Amino acid sequence: MSLLLRPRAALGGAVLAGAVLVAVATALAVGTVPMSPLRSLPALAGAGDPADILVVQRLRGPRLVAGLLVGAALGASGCLMQTLARNRLATPGTVGIDDGATAFAVASVVGASTSLAPSAMALAGAATAAALALGLAGGAGTSGYRFVVVGLGVGAVLGAVTSLLLVRAPIDAANAAFPWTVGTLNTRPAAAVTLLGYGLAGCLPLALLIGRRLSVLRLSDSVAAGLGVRVRAVRLAALAVAVVCAGLAVAVGGPLGMVALLAPEAARRVCGPYGVPVLGSALAGAALVLLADTAGRTLAAPVEVPAGLVTAVIGGPYLLWLLLTSRPRRLP
Amino acid sequence: MTPPATPPSAQAADPSAVLRADGVTLAHGQAIAVDTIRLAPPPGRLTAVVGPNGCGKSTLLAGLSRLHRPAGGTVLLDGRDLARLPAREAARRIGLLPQSAQAPDGLTVADLVRFGRQPHQGLLRQWSPQDQQAVDRALTATGMTALAGRLLETLSGGQRQRAWIALTVAQETAVLLLDEPTSALDLGHQLEVFELLRELAAAGRTVVVVVHDLMLACRYADHLVAMKAGRMVAEGAPREVVTPELIRRLYGVEAGVLRDPDTDRPLVVPRGLAP
Repeated sequence: MSLLLRPRAALGGAVLAGAVLVAVATALAVGTVPMSPLRSLPALAGAGDPADILVVQRLRGPRLVAGLLVGAALGASGCLMQTLARNRLATPGTVGIDDGATAFAVASVVGASTSLAPSAMALAGAATAAALALGLAGGAGTSGYRFVVVGLGVGAVLGAVTSLLLVRAPIDAANAAFPWTVGTLNTRPAAAVTLLGYGLAGCLPLALLIGRRLSVLRLSDSVAAGLGVRVRAVRLAALAVAVVCAGLAVAVGGPLGMVALLAPEAARRVCGPYGVPVLGSALAGAALVLLADTAGRTLAAPVEVPAGLVTAVIGGPYLLWLLLTSRPRRLP
Repeated sequence: MTPPATPPSAQAADPSAVLRADGVTLAHGQAIAVDTIRLAPPPGRLTAVVGPNGCGKSTLLAGLSRLHRPAGGTVLLDGRDLARLPAREAARRIGLLPQSAQAPDGLTVADLVRFGRQPHQGLLRQWSPQDQQAVDRALTATGMTALAGRLLETLSGGQRQRAWIALTVAQETAVLLLDEPTSALDLGHQLEVFELLRELAAAGRTVVVVVHDLMLACRYADHLVAMKAGRMVAEGAPREVVTPELIRRLYGVEAGVLRDPDTDRPLVVPRGLAP
């Protein structure tokens, strides 16, 4: 869609990109060693005080990259799922993907007999949950609603598995598994981050490619088909992208609460109702996760609050505020 | 907004496309909904499909629009098998307004109508002045220009229905298929929609509309198709095919069929259920 026709969407994208930049600057600046952008940005490029370079490149940089990628993946995934289900409550969290990742990762930590690392297990869990929900719902099919409802059920079962594992595990093991139940960027296995980077690089262009057809799909399947959209193919592609993004993201950071729900909500607010703001949601998600993680590691220092708790704590009231201040409306 | 030079509705890309159903059978799983129907809605005319609930009217429309793949027979568009036509190309020739279409909140009338240009756009073919002109023409033809900036959810039922029709008109197809476009409207709005459809047909389009109201069908249709249990039981000009026997056969209702002295069209007067 041309910039002339959609100035609001373009402006919204710029605003969200600005928010990401602010989040990046903040994340680099604050911490045990406070650092102004005048010091941190050159350090990022490898210039200045060696101590600054160490802090920025070894400590804050990788964490920042992980936060950006996880947030972008969750935001895009949430946006696609909400569009597919025509329901703003449909996110990787509600369709069981988060629960699957948590259950498998916790199982790996508390010592169920597996040789896989927790992050690999989280990815396997996300894939299992998505496959279960898809299989039980009868394929990507025509009804996103069915997928959501089945996903809720799958998520509940896997959530119960997590609880059972934690209750039966020795207290130390349960403690070690805790981060996987709330979502944090503290662990962030490097291999998982790399994989997420490749995944996003492949998935986001695909999502943008089908973006306009997705926005037609919001009207209803038969209208979209009448407008020449190959509904099944578009649905399948969008669902695949959503599941891959969510799965790779939870493999890095665990289930970061509310991000996939909030980011598209914010993006829609800023970009207007006409299109499906996949890119906007990715930007909003990146900014949100990065800010949440920065707040979590600095506000209560030296104790670190997991980013997933921060997103949940700021996310709940924010969502309520969004819903209460927007016009009374039906769920799409 | 400049008024179009030519009459707004005379702009169909190829106004003389011929749509023909050749022994088409449509099935929902094992259940046959439409049984070997032959139908060629005349171009430039308004064709109305009538029949009792569940007789397969809507399924027939879905079959004619490539939404429902025939289990037997073929739908031909200018002699080419519709099922083999690429989806986007078919959508440039055939427009469909399904029943109970829903739009997400926050869209304006103009936003909705713009979606009608989807089949004319592609990766390399982005929004163009031609698209904008088509949208303007569609808004003019449906009398929605003044409401173009209004949010859909703030419109009355009749206005919203006109906005949806405008979307289909903006598609600029030679064939227009509409599934009960007047079902939730009051009498004035029903007539408004049918007057509009008649204009669209007069511009050379093939217009097929599924309608429940026999009175409206008799009043406006050039060509009437009556269906019962998936089969076509009558076809032709309303004044030739609408008879007390047809009404009894379709609906199980005893009715008198009078002539409207002004239009010489049939007037159906129900008297009671057939014994």
